[in-house]
Amino acid sequence: MKRLDLSKYSKLFSGYTELRVQENRDNGVSIVDGTIMGNRRSSASGVSARSYKSGSWGFASTPETDDGAVRHVIQAAWENAAFLDKHENKGGLALPESSAVGEWDLSTRKPVASQKDRIDFLKSIDSYISSKFSKLSTRTVSLHSLDMEKQLLTSAGSNAFSMIPRSILYVVFAVDTDSGPVELYDIFGAPGQFEDVFVSPSSYHEKLDKLYEHLMRKAEGVFPAAGISECILDADIAGILSHEAIGHTTEADLVRGGSVAGDYMDQLVASPLVSLTDFAHTALGETCPVPVHIDDEGTLARDVAIIQDGVLRSYMHNRDSALEFGVEPAGNARGYKFSDEPLIRMRNTAILPGKSNLEDMIGSVENGYYLIQSSNGQADSTSEFMFGVVLGYEIRNGKLGRALKDVTISGVAFDMLKTVTAVSGDMSWKIGMCGKKQSIPVGMGGPAIKCKINIGGK
Amino acid sequence: MADSRKISQFCIDAILEAGHQQAECSLSFTRKTEFTVEDGSISLMRTTDDTGLSLTGIKDQRKGSSSINKTDERSMLDSVAELTGLVDANEPDPANEIAENQPQNSFTRGPEKPDVDLMYTRIKSFLKHSKEKYPTLILEQVILDHTARRRSYVNSNGVDFQSVRGGYNFMAMFSSKVGTSISSFNYVAVSTADLSEELCTLGGLDRLMSQSTEQTVTGNLQGSFEGDVIITPECLGDFISMIASYFYDYPLITGTSIYKDSLDEIIADERLFIHSRPVSDELAGGYFFTGDGFKSANSTIIENGVLKTFLLGLYGSRKTGLDKAVNSGGFYVIDPGETSFDEMVKSVDKGILLCRFSGGSPSSSGDFSGVAKNSYLIENGEIKNPVSETMIAGNMKDMLKRIKHISSETVNSGNSIMPWITFSGITISGK
Repeated sequence: MKRLDLSKYSKLFSGYTELRVQENRDNGVSIVDGTIMGNRRSSASGVSARSYKSGSWGFASTPETDDGAVRHVIQAAWENAAFLDKHENKGGLALPESSAVGEWDLSTRKPVASQKDRIDFLKSIDSYISSKFSKLSTRTVSLHSLDMEKQLLTSAGSNAFSMIPRSILYVVFAVDTDSGPVELYDIFGAPGQFEDVFVSPSSYHEKLDKLYEHLMRKAEGVFPAAGISECILDADIAGILSHEAIGHTTEADLVRGGSVAGDYMDQLVASPLVSLTDFAHTALGETCPVPVHIDDEGTLARDVAIIQDGVLRSYMHNRDSALEFGVEPAGNARGYKFSDEPLIRMRNTAILPGKSNLEDMIGSVENGYYLIQSSNGQADSTSEFMFGVVLGYEIRNGKLGRALKDVTISGVAFDMLKTVTAVSGDMSWKIGMCGKKQSIPVGMGGPAIKCKINIGGK
Repeated sequence: MADSRKISQFCIDAILEAGHQQAECSLSFTRKTEFTVEDGSISLMRTTDDTGLSLTGIKDQRKGSSSINKTDERSMLDSVAELTGLVDANEPDPANEIAENQPQNSFTRGPEKPDVDLMYTRIKSFLKHSKEKYPTLILEQVILDHTARRRSYVNSNGVDFQSVRGGYNFMAMFSSKVGTSISSFNYVAVSTADLSEELCTLGGLDRLMSQSTEQTVTGNLQGSFEGDVIITPECLGDFISMIASYFYDYPLITGTSIYKDSLDEIIADERLFIHSRPVSDELAGGYFFTGDGFKSANSTIIENGVLKTFLLGLYGSRKTGLDKAVNSGGFYVIDPGETSFDEMVKSVDKGILLCRFSGGSPSSSGDFSGVAKNSYLIENGEIKNPVSETMIAGNMKDMLKRIKHISSETVNSGNSIMPWITFSGITISGK
């Protein structure tokens, strides 16, 4: 992305204004049963401005980034805010004027890989799969990378540049059974560009072996018994639980919209073993999957401790909601494309590790389930949630038993979290996409937790 | 606005000059005008312009695609160079092909310019209606936009399609709260070519808002049973999309579709007709040509319960040897039945009225399960209390064959026309 000198436009700001130049670059390769079916690149860039006038917001964007285009969006955003202000006449207060300055560039320092390098990497993975796992009826391997590059200038004095990439390897296996095909997938990824994240195909062989082994067992899987069961939720499912069922209910716009968490501040909402944080960029000394240092409102990003020792302590805010709630914003306002306005979004949401050991946790369950991997998840303003589980096992007398077919789990998160009796000491992250008007990358993670949960069965 | 035909031809020429034997160019210019409501009042007015330029080249059966959102000459030539790099890195696949020559065609539908003052008036009126009629209802998010899009598809076989389309889209997401008791959220998304009607009259919006105010207090179902589920038009659309997902390229190419061997076979109750109508005057939404360059036509996917077509594109068709569909799916219409909604309820001994489904993607064998949201218990032919923490489970294949009734009433959301349908033998389980 060509960097612009945005400072010269600050004199055009008529009130509180954010000016953002952004480019998203995607690269995707997919191989299905040995044939390259996807081979594409895309980029979308442009400039946007958002202005605030006495409680009303105006936003405008254009894909051009020349001087005339920048001037146009600044003016158009202000005119939109003025249109609303004229009709709505809210008389809103001035927004918090904190500012931050900085640059964060996670671009690779290695020679840039060609498309052939990417295809060769993926073909090597695919060759390993086809030569080793003979029982598969179909296989798909895909590489996806997304670079998000932004420049931001605000009337409050924030001035930021960031280039935050992420790269993902997606693997799907299927096997035919008497009752139809059975599928299983996994996603491997990290923040960083292809050159830094995918160094050696062989480093994924062990993970692929494990995925195949799980699939073979799932092909002979059983439906779990429907109803409430004692379960160990592995990190992947604990992560989606943190994000979907708890995180969303504590976003201030949803709190304003009637979320159940609006009545729970400073109350015990979970077992004292549970602490949940939305990390800005660094967790336990490691870079998070989606590091955010300055958000799209120019706020310096810091962690939000949502639940501490079982007690609800914080919501997530933008400047507007922070003003209304009388707190400081912590950098949760993000937009996905240059043409998207910033919304209150989670960044990297996780339950903090505890002190238990996963094997001991499984060993402590007489009759229950070990649930490992989710497909999708949805939650509600009531904190009632639903997750699809595509990989899990029975636990009988403290030992893993038969694998499970695809199943759905559900519950009311603020009730379910009170049943947590153990939290493992390890932690892992997944990169996902969260949909809330706009789709945006998020990190979800955590340890394994032991709890009681409702399982849908037949 | 720039000349689409001129830009497209420039790109086609540049791709061919770069050594490709086949070239295609999809171009769009989109202008959106949008009002957003937060916390019960209009908070944001947003106007956005965007461009989409997607180029595809095929050389010796090797294919690549490059997309940008610029139409200046330098950016377009850079994109062609990038495309050539992608193609050179690829391997031959005989299924790679572009659409054959068809007559040049241009299409227009709906207003290209928004009536901004009327948009504001309609949304204010909606807020007033909501506040006065449903005082316990909380509008979590409301968005009214006008979207105008100029699209073109041009390829080196001489295909040249142009379209201009404008219309309004409205989405309201809401829940209700009495004291500390809150309902699950629900939402309605509708499209309309104009704003001649008040927003609250569109689709099933007013019915769902009214239901929301009843749902702050719910009952739990005890135990598990097999019963009838009446699926509402708003929720039925989600199920039809899940079923249609088995008809597209990927599951048919990989052989993971549960319907891969079912063409021209009975897959549903004989009263079921499902159409895909992207060029219907009945619907505000739609498309005139597909992404791979074919003029769209309406189709009947399921007729008298028989699967009449898949939704394969050109690539999927060549890969599987099956017929290419006449459209890319979506904009589904289900024919009404002969039973009134009231009669359908009366015929249910025990079951639920499913108003929203929060579920996992169905498995490759068609099994699905999920939570019944904003839904009601039906007992002895009467709608009883709203339920919470209630799950339903079944199998897509079985479900389509267990249709008990299709309602005579339908709801047009602008993007689909759906009736209520009663499905029998669904597992319903409470706590």
